Amino acid sequence: MSTQTTNTKMSVNENGQLNGEAAIKTAFINDEAFQMKQGETILSFVRRHYGQEEVPTLCDAPNLDPFGSCRVCSVEVALEKGGKTKTVASCHTPLSEGYYIYTSSPKMQRLRKNIVELVLTDHPLDCLTCEVNGNCELQTVAAQVGIRDVRYPEGETHLHREKDLSHPYMTSDLSKCINCYRCVRACDEVQGQFVLSMAGRGFDNRIIKGADTTFDDSACVSCGACSQACPTSAISDVFQSKAIKATETTRTVCTYCGVGCNLEVATKSGEILSIQAPYDAEVNQGHTCLKGRYAFKFYDHPERLRDPLIKRNGKFEKATWEETYDYIVSKLEKIKEENGPDAIAGISSSRCTNEENYLMQKFIRAVVGTNNIDGCARVCHSPTALGMQRVYGTGAATNSVDDINDTDLMMVIGANPTKAHPVTGAKIKQRAMKGAKLIVIDPYRTEIAKYADYHLQLRPGTNVAVLNMMLYYIVMEGRAQNDFIKARTIGYEDFVQSIHKLDIDKLEEVSGVDRNLAKAAALAYADAPNAMSFHGLGVTEHSQGTFTVMLIAQLAMITGNIGRRGVGVNPLRGQNNVQGSADMGVQPHQGAGYMDVNNEEIINTYSDFYGVDVPLGEGLKIPQMFDAAIEGRLKAAWIIGEDVAQTDPNTKKVVAALSNLDILIVQELFMTETALLADVVLPGASFLEKDGTFTNGERRIQRVQQVVEPIGNSKVDGQIIIDVMNRMGYKQADYDAKTMLEEISQIVPFFRGVKWEELGEQGKQWPVKEDGTDTQILHTEEFKIGKGVFAAFDWQESAEVEANGKEYPFILTTVRELEHYNCGAMTRRTGNVEILGEDYLVINPSDAEAKGIKHGDMVCIMSERGKADVRAKVSTDVKPGILSSTFHFPEIMLNNLTSDIHDSEAMCPEYKVVSVDIRKSKGEFKRPATV
Amino acid sequence: MSDNLSYLSGRKGLSDNLFENYVAEAEETGTVEREKLSELANDFLIGDANTFGATSFYDFLKEENKGKKVYVCNGSACLCAGTQKKLVENLSTHFKPEEIGEMCCLGRCHENGAFNYEGNNYSAKTSEEIDSIIKNKTAAVDNYYVGSNCDEPILTSEFVGVEQYYQSLWEALKKSPDELLEDYKSSGLRGRGGAGFPKSYKLEAVKNAKGDQKFIVCNADEGDPGAYSDRWLLEERPHSVLFGMILAGYIGGADKGVLYIRAEYPESVRITEVAVQDLRERGYLGENIQGSGFNFDFKVIKAAGAYVCGEETALLSSIEGQRPEVRVRPPFPAQQGLFNCPTLVNNVETFASVHYIVTEGGEAYGRRGRGRSTGTKLVCLDSFFNRPGMYEVEMGTPLSEVINDLGQGFKSPVKALHVGGPLGGIVPASHFDKLTVDFESFAENGFLLGHAGVLSVPESFPMVKYLEHLFEFTSVESCGKCFPCRLGAKRGWEMLEKAQKDGYKIERQLMDDLLETMEDGSLCALGGGLPLGIKNAMQYFEEELNEYFA
Repeated sequence: MSTQTTNTKMSVNENGQLNGEAAIKTAFINDEAFQMKQGETILSFVRRHYGQEEVPTLCDAPNLDPFGSCRVCSVEVALEKGGKTKTVASCHTPLSEGYYIYTSSPKMQRLRKNIVELVLTDHPLDCLTCEVNGNCELQTVAAQVGIRDVRYPEGETHLHREKDLSHPYMTSDLSKCINCYRCVRACDEVQGQFVLSMAGRGFDNRIIKGADTTFDDSACVSCGACSQACPTSAISDVFQSKAIKATETTRTVCTYCGVGCNLEVATKSGEILSIQAPYDAEVNQGHTCLKGRYAFKFYDHPERLRDPLIKRNGKFEKATWEETYDYIVSKLEKIKEENGPDAIAGISSSRCTNEENYLMQKFIRAVVGTNNIDGCARVCHSPTALGMQRVYGTGAATNSVDDINDTDLMMVIGANPTKAHPVTGAKIKQRAMKGAKLIVIDPYRTEIAKYADYHLQLRPGTNVAVLNMMLYYIVMEGRAQNDFIKARTIGYEDFVQSIHKLDIDKLEEVSGVDRNLAKAAALAYADAPNAMSFHGLGVTEHSQGTFTVMLIAQLAMITGNIGRRGVGVNPLRGQNNVQGSADMGVQPHQGAGYMDVNNEEIINTYSDFYGVDVPLGEGLKIPQMFDAAIEGRLKAAWIIGEDVAQTDPNTKKVVAALSNLDILIVQELFMTETALLADVVLPGASFLEKDGTFTNGERRIQRVQQVVEPIGNSKVDGQIIIDVMNRMGYKQADYDAKTMLEEISQIVPFFRGVKWEELGEQGKQWPVKEDGTDTQILHTEEFKIGKGVFAAFDWQESAEVEANGKEYPFILTTVRELEHYNCGAMTRRTGNVEILGEDYLVINPSDAEAKGIKHGDMVCIMSERGKADVRAKVSTDVKPGILSSTFHFPEIMLNNLTSDIHDSEAMCPEYKVVSVDIRKSKGEFKRPATV
Repeated sequence: MSDNLSYLSGRKGLSDNLFENYVAEAEETGTVEREKLSELANDFLIGDANTFGATSFYDFLKEENKGKKVYVCNGSACLCAGTQKKLVENLSTHFKPEEIGEMCCLGRCHENGAFNYEGNNYSAKTSEEIDSIIKNKTAAVDNYYVGSNCDEPILTSEFVGVEQYYQSLWEALKKSPDELLEDYKSSGLRGRGGAGFPKSYKLEAVKNAKGDQKFIVCNADEGDPGAYSDRWLLEERPHSVLFGMILAGYIGGADKGVLYIRAEYPESVRITEVAVQDLRERGYLGENIQGSGFNFDFKVIKAAGAYVCGEETALLSSIEGQRPEVRVRPPFPAQQGLFNCPTLVNNVETFASVHYIVTEGGEAYGRRGRGRSTGTKLVCLDSFFNRPGMYEVEMGTPLSEVINDLGQGFKSPVKALHVGGPLGGIVPASHFDKLTVDFESFAENGFLLGHAGVLSVPESFPMVKYLEHLFEFTSVESCGKCFPCRLGAKRGWEMLEKAQKDGYKIERQLMDDLLETMEDGSLCALGGGLPLGIKNAMQYFEEELNEYFA
């Protein structure tokens, strides 16, 4: 509380602005002086000083703009002590200096009570049987204002409204609706989906979904923001997430994408009831998507692997852990003895914690004695890590997602964030609707492309061509930031010479992007005070993936968009902990903390730290592992939580490689396509069953906290690795997140100051210094590498198109859908499958017509490698000649089509450019049985 | 209110305006087909719920409006005149019941029996008149007296012709916006829409607001039953309004003017459009007008039947194709208005007063009227007067002079005048001599000048019925956003209805609580203004109303 100050006479003009400069920033609550904050409302002021309970509200919500519908938050305001008061709604009235606020005068108490009484004239009085009994804001406020009875005579009500139980997750019972609009506003201001609105007028106002339809028939994306926002049970979900049945809640981090949403998981008797998104989470501010909020029921699905399995005579048999460990250890030791450690490889999982990934690479390096360790980043963002390391010195996002609020322009390349990173996607959309410019470079007309100022709809495989066009115009139009370039970069002169030589005619022709559009976008990017770029797998999963990343990084440098808020290069990382797995050393060329395993000095450091000799020299990357397996050089592989058989390209080859191993160990939650090929299957634990940390796409290390015990006989993945380490003669203490993190902080330089307790609820963004301070923005003064590096790259046609383009004239590009996550092992075992139950092929109407294909027909896609049958969705979202398909369902096995051509630098497969031909499927398509 | 929807609608803005699309689509059938709503939702990226939700708000867009062929006025004046029951009976010989709809106040309070047929407004009391209109398509006639007690009328003076009238605009454009703004300030002109807010404040705020795009919006949707002065201005003096808007654009830095005109005034829409077209043809609009370097043009938008659109923020949402729900302030329209851009919203009569200020000087205007109520005011008198019509009076004119001299007294006994629309005060006969026509006099005596429409409540009309009508009006027209208005107006209506039927007695405390809740708690003047008249009636007609209270 601040000291009492003299009141200066205030005059407030029409705009609520104070006339004259205010020297003392004080206002009064019930005649007591308090310090005010810039720009706060009366409500936030009162709540800050007097607590949440002082002024009740119904329409206010933490993540929504003030709306002023319920008027329950009304207070009296005078311009002098005891002066003439005016009644105002505190939620939307800005605080001005010298206001005397009276929060609970008899008049205000009467007003609140009388408003709530009116609400209760049109609300069922069935609290005791209502699902939110005990956690209903109306109930709480009614009690708070002291309603005893409703005095109005019986009148018209809306209690007869029918429930909507049409949707797998969302429910509504609008007889409980108090018309506070919180759901409508959440759908608008948080998700930006505009599924909900009001219909009618006045007393007959009612919430509608779509054109007055059901949740299921509407365009609802099931994010659940409305359900969380609703103060009663008018909108809820099948998990009744606002009910008070839970006895415990646990805060943890989502297991799906790299956004890293914080979740609050409600449990009772060891069973998970529901999930909500905490409002105080810096990452997601009370929001999340249908995967985070609703797609958790995989965790106790009947098909969850509950026991270790050993394949004998081609059939899996249940085994004890001891038996299984003995089997694995004897096999691995025998192979190591006979073929050397390099005949063994590990693929770790980005779904697992940092601690587990650290352990897996340590096991492979220190216990097995090889650098044959890789992870899913190989098939997604390895070009990002490599490309950004080459230009900046650090292969991670330079800024934070929250910087969206400070940017003037967003450039999204090869990413569909509203589907793959829904919370970030929603933020991008929201920012675009607040007037920030938006450039989308994507062959697909994504949802955000519809909101974009510039959509550069290029032909897949021509990112380098389009970025070169943009760089060309920035240079030619004199928009390069020469001061920045001079002070902080090298190689610019040679770079500019190469830019001058670009053949714009050719680039325009191959990319299909009009040069004027490229120019306009380039200049908008260059001219924006702060421009931020985001990219996804549409950048990396190409034969020129690394070069594309480097050009994006250079685009930021040439325009000086690096090293402050609202700028930078921000890869949208796919898996929840893909950033972390690479940080932890799940790469064949760099150990924990990105240190080069080709460097003897570094190897000595590792050896000292691990207490055993670790090998010098790069190990095998995933594609090389497959080659080695086919050639017989690789004898054993241990794959954790990665369904390479369904998701890696050229399925036939992958299956051949895995089948050729002496032993394949697969650690999984479900019997995936890869697990089916295994000799030993180890039941791992889901994120809900373990402690540890995940590092999200903005380098934020966040605590994952165990919610329930591992199901059946499954074990925490880290413990499984430790059990094998110990049995192979390396002493490693039992899995404990805190002590593991302690070990990691001693070897990974940018984890130096990371401590389990100090991560708190918001986590920390690395690098974390010894004293615990973290880093939101990288490269503020200088680049990690010193001076940023300019290097020019010419566009090259994909080898796939050159070799197969004539025979297979269409280009297929693989994409993801909102409802499913990668191979779908988890999401297909949740209600999400009721929303989207199969993969589909998007085809332009002109192509469909030419091939006699109608919307909903099964289409046979053929490539040099194989065939797949997928249902057609005819849409102008792709240009003629371009097709796109998801790959979430093993029934389709789309990767039968994809090639093993990969990025020249990082070996990331070229999923995004597959030469194919199509025809209408012959005969009746028989859908294979679900795995 | 949604900033996002404002932005998305603003991407097409006025050129392919969302709201105009709704209105145009409903032209044929009376409503917008669902496929079209869905198409618009996709075009504007705003979702089906928003197009459906918005159109379901308006009387002339909602699905229930489909197939309506004739609309009967249900405004207060026609109600008190008692003409409408017979009118419906007569119309029923030509139309099926489901083809007869309602419209709230066609601005024919001076003769009543008002209805709208095929886009034209008529008044008819006999079946012969109606037969003639329906069968022979007789042209609409609309005669009422227009007069003034001013030596030098400002608004009702004779129109001098377009060319001469706009001479003063070319003169004004030579001055700086700041210089002109000074005139506004010294004129003391206060908004004529009802709130009486000084015009210069708003205009100065728009001028000072940052933004490349700004708008001048004319609120021609003030549908207060009893007031038809806006209609007269738009139909008889459209250039006064347009002139005021152009000049506001010059001062505020806006190059677009929007006139949002009630659908219930079809003639006003047509005539204003003709006047705008005339200006365009003369080269008085467009880029670099008359070599001044100033650009300005108009957009005339026809509304779709929702009283609350007369509230300025609801009006802006309406133009954007959003549900016209009242917005919170701040942000004020001057900071963030139409399509999130700085916007000046003024009433028709306010704009029309500008020509005088510019030609004669702000101080000259400021000298007119009385005290802080400067200038003149248009006052409308209904058919209970011996000489119904519209009169321009100096502010400060005694109300008795208006009643007796201008209106020439009442045709039949009148027990109260409802002045300033449904949200104004109910002035009992005992107070007719106590009031002068200005903001202060009305406020000091516990009434409201508002828009200065004067409605007579005849001796024979039960006050309880009139109060029920006011509650009903508010309930039906409430946007439904704030709880006190949405629920309070309905419950008040129900209580008064019940009290007349089932021997139910209203608890006085409950009614007091309800009125206080609406007055203090409502978001805008609709719910907040209703209690004034009700309280006046409960005070001055206590005896008459006693039997309905416990």
